[in-house]
Amino acid sequence: MRLFLLSIMLCVSTVCMAQKVTVRAVDEPASVVFRSIVEQTGKNFVYSSELLKDMRVSVNVRNKSLKCTLSIIFKDSDIEFEIRGRNIILKRKPKPEKWKSDSPVAVVHPTVPQYNGVVPEMLEEVVVTSRLEAPAVETAEIGAKKLTAREIIDTPVLFGESDVVKALQMQPGISEGQEGMAGMHVHGGNSDENLYMLDNVPLYQVNHFAGLFSAFNAEAIRYIDFFKSSIPAKYDGRLSSYLDVRTRNGSRDGHHGSFRLGLTSGAFNIDGPIGKKTTYSVSVRRSWFDVLSVPMLALVNSSDEEEKIRFRYAFMDLNARLTHRFSNRATGFASVYFGNDILKAGSSDKKVPEIGWYDDYKTDLNWGNLVAQAGLNYKINSSMTSEFTAAYTRYFSGMKHEWLSKEIMYDGITESHSISRTRNNINDWIFRADFDWRPNDENRVRFGGNYILHSFLPARTDRDYRIGTTQILTRDSTWTYTANEANIYLEDDWMISEKFRMNAGLHMSLFNIDGKTNYGFGPRLSFSYRPSENWAVKGAYARTNQYVHQLSQTYLSLPTDQWVPVTGQFKPQNADKISIGGYWQSDNRLFAASVEGYWKIMRNLVDYRDEYYLQPPTEMWNAQLCSGKGTAKGIDFKVEKLYGKLTGHISYSLAWSDRTFPDKNGGLTFPARFDNRHTINILFNWNISDRVSLNAAWTGHSGNRFTLLPQVWESPEFGNSYSGDESPLKTRVNNYQLPFYHRLDLSCTVRNKRGYWTFGLFNAYCHLNTIAIRRTHNHANRPVFQKVKLLPVIPSISYTWQF
Amino acid sequence: MAILRYIIPVLLSSVLAGCYEDFNPEIDTKPVLCLNSLITAGKPIDVQVTHTWIFNDEKSERNHDVPDASVVIFANEGIVPPDYLPKEGDRIRIVADSPTYGTATAEVVVPYATPIGKVRVSPVVKNIWKGEDDFFHYEMFADITFNLNVEMDVNDPAGTDNYYHFGYNWFGTDTDGSPTLSVGQFEYNSEPIFKEHIGVFETVMGNDEDASFEFFSDRQFAGKTYTLHLNFSDAFYRVNSQIYDESLLDCGLNLCLNTVSQSYYNWAVYKWNVDEGITGDLSDLGLAESRWGYSNVSTGAGVVAAQSSSEVTINLKEFLKTVLNNE
Repeated sequence: MRLFLLSIMLCVSTVCMAQKVTVRAVDEPASVVFRSIVEQTGKNFVYSSELLKDMRVSVNVRNKSLKCTLSIIFKDSDIEFEIRGRNIILKRKPKPEKWKSDSPVAVVHPTVPQYNGVVPEMLEEVVVTSRLEAPAVETAEIGAKKLTAREIIDTPVLFGESDVVKALQMQPGISEGQEGMAGMHVHGGNSDENLYMLDNVPLYQVNHFAGLFSAFNAEAIRYIDFFKSSIPAKYDGRLSSYLDVRTRNGSRDGHHGSFRLGLTSGAFNIDGPIGKKTTYSVSVRRSWFDVLSVPMLALVNSSDEEEKIRFRYAFMDLNARLTHRFSNRATGFASVYFGNDILKAGSSDKKVPEIGWYDDYKTDLNWGNLVAQAGLNYKINSSMTSEFTAAYTRYFSGMKHEWLSKEIMYDGITESHSISRTRNNINDWIFRADFDWRPNDENRVRFGGNYILHSFLPARTDRDYRIGTTQILTRDSTWTYTANEANIYLEDDWMISEKFRMNAGLHMSLFNIDGKTNYGFGPRLSFSYRPSENWAVKGAYARTNQYVHQLSQTYLSLPTDQWVPVTGQFKPQNADKISIGGYWQSDNRLFAASVEGYWKIMRNLVDYRDEYYLQPPTEMWNAQLCSGKGTAKGIDFKVEKLYGKLTGHISYSLAWSDRTFPDKNGGLTFPARFDNRHTINILFNWNISDRVSLNAAWTGHSGNRFTLLPQVWESPEFGNSYSGDESPLKTRVNNYQLPFYHRLDLSCTVRNKRGYWTFGLFNAYCHLNTIAIRRTHNHANRPVFQKVKLLPVIPSISYTWQF
Repeated sequence: MAILRYIIPVLLSSVLAGCYEDFNPEIDTKPVLCLNSLITAGKPIDVQVTHTWIFNDEKSERNHDVPDASVVIFANEGIVPPDYLPKEGDRIRIVADSPTYGTATAEVVVPYATPIGKVRVSPVVKNIWKGEDDFFHYEMFADITFNLNVEMDVNDPAGTDNYYHFGYNWFGTDTDGSPTLSVGQFEYNSEPIFKEHIGVFETVMGNDEDASFEFFSDRQFAGKTYTLHLNFSDAFYRVNSQIYDESLLDCGLNLCLNTVSQSYYNWAVYKWNVDEGITGDLSDLGLAESRWGYSNVSTGAGVVAAQSSSEVTINLKEFLKTVLNNE
């Protein structure tokens, strides 16, 4: 048996034995759990590569000694440990014990086949770990959630396409928005008020397929830290929530991968070592729609002798990461993310006639995100680690329409050619440094800063018309904005006593654009009081600032959505949020419960004004907008079962959310579109056996708000084509609440030696939910209101082959 | 062909759409007065007073007139008689009152007519069929197909926001009273200003292909001269008379440049959006915000608009004469 030493020379610490460890993991790869321990203690793990192969760990300890923690982890396993100096040596016990049934405290499954492609990895010197390892009752944070790749994959979703955002939609206080979409409205906020960070770099475009899927490939993800109430000082730039998505490093003990084939897309992942110090990880996902549409279009085109139709839609995303260990103190990485949607369509006459007309139409829509970054994790000394990142991120969306027409006459050809295009781009250069300092056992100080050079092109529209010899060019007056953004932050997680804990911080920012500098001041405070081992009471305050916002004319995610900076008459958005919460966990830590209340005020929100479409598109992009404020308040309840064969949670949210804009709804306050008063989420994962697991998610909430126009009036007869008919009478915005929404999604995973099948049922009992009300005429030509219902039961199937 | 215009609804309806269900929403709402009027400088003011109704109210009669309504017209803050002829620059306010439906008011300024500048006409003959080929032995027979390209300068006055509506008609009569001239197809694509209200998304969806929108604003040429490209294709002149009479060649076009109030322009843009625009379709499916009818009346129902006209006539007699003589 080949032994190899996985040595992490973190520090020379003389107080290692006295260090306390807090670890929480649910069926995580052992290497992931060990990383956390390495980070907290500075010890290295030394073990055989085969010893931990396929080993998964469930553990929940807080402020225990290292020895105690390791004893819990290996309690029922055939592995024993020995702490020797700076090393923790693992080896197999002389007489291995048979694996016993799971325990709520610590479980090791040495023989469970790997499930999600995550395999034990070589331990690294400086490892970025989740800050939400400890259970909620022990931290100062409110409304925070760590999500693992497995939790994401286990959440049943539409078309079986594992989705980060849809997994989060099951958390209390989060509204999915439009049915089936990967939208996220956190505590009454808008969908653009969530910051999605991929390995510390912000993403702008986070959806595929008009918003049906999020842009994160679940199989490339290591974990996600999500904050919605108490916001750590590190994060700023959005009002409502923060997702810190961390992608996987490659494995050091061999090349591993998986290939998934689903109804809508396929994915391929592979990772492994390159030499002794370098690893790679590559994940690619691509949709199949265009492949499926080829034979359908061929059939259509073969039956039409005159016209040829073209149509192609596809989305893809790529995550690639290289990690290199320079020394025991320094680990570098370089990564690329590219996500892209394309839609091409058109039609053309099959033949150019001798006399007559010939037409050729082409349409091209293209939108997505590119992130390229390099970083260094460096251990400065025994108590301080750092992460340096340099990144380039580009958001792009564009639409182009081209029309070529020929009028062929006896005496010549008149050719017309028109091109219309619009573009919305953001290019960011990002440089950031983050430090993590533990001066003593009671304090953990995080600080850092970043500089971002933005270049915004909000939406530029060009039109080029050529008719015969006449050419007409028009371009709107939009220009590129360059902006400088700088942020610094400092926070201290302070364990004041056994009962009191506080996280206090400050985030300061400046945003310079168009010759004007805006300053943001973001104090953050959260504290907890823990009267007993099982109880905690918490409070938090956070101010957040936002300098860019997204404008959407529809509720779909399309290239018409524009990311625009704060400029002109608009001021930076900011929000103040106060939260309080109570937390409980059972003695055996099998169950947990929480109640969290919040009150939030959001200022300088931007939205389209009433009848904004009356402003022509050639006007400045901000002519259609107005500025206002919003408030949100509510209470989230949650009960969880954390361990065992059956896990899951039940949550209930009571919420209010409204908006007030001087140029919208006549200046009167109106309910937000997703002002869902009551929301219930139930999520269960039942591991029936090592081979089979069942997942169920039921959601029910008060209907979304809708602007129902009940009255009509006679349209004027002005003697041209824009006359006649009847027109709806203006009313209050979002004046009507749609019926109660509810839906059950199911999925089942069946594993075999080579991989696993996933079967899904979206909307399992086929309750068609109302998403809108329309005015129309029925079969008897009588005017009626009709409920518009979408998304019936939709089955899905996928197979993931692992190697 | 606007393929996306068809594919997206098909996708939405077949893949996603479940069904529609009739229902009666219970919303407490009361009918209000509606005012509609197009005020033209130099012509009497005509006001239609109606009331709003619940869309699915089957009891609602087709006639929505309000018999008990009284209407008062103010011009420049003074009450004027019903036969008052409004002038350019008049500020007209209409107040309607009904014991049943309450009061509605609307105000509009009659815009000044914008003078038409130079007009350049370039007819291009496509096909001619003349009398000597005719076996009916008409003394005067012609069938001429031609394209008519017109460039018309709009001298936009500075200092005000101006909105325009372009219109045209044609004249020319045969001996039997039938028209001799038809201007054929008006090519909206030839003049991009007619598409200034159409965003690229709408273009991508193919919603500009059938555009027959004749309104535009001076946003892109405020205070300057703008040349409208007005192309008529496949215009034809057709006459058959047993007596040669040169007066039969008297025919041509009248081009109208109506300077319209902002309310008129907004109404037209609104109608285009709900009738032709993709966002109108999406809002029907709940995928975009609902759009109510544009109104400048205090109750939110009705449009009170105003316009003043300038007109220019293009006589094609000399052109036709030359064509016939040269043939």
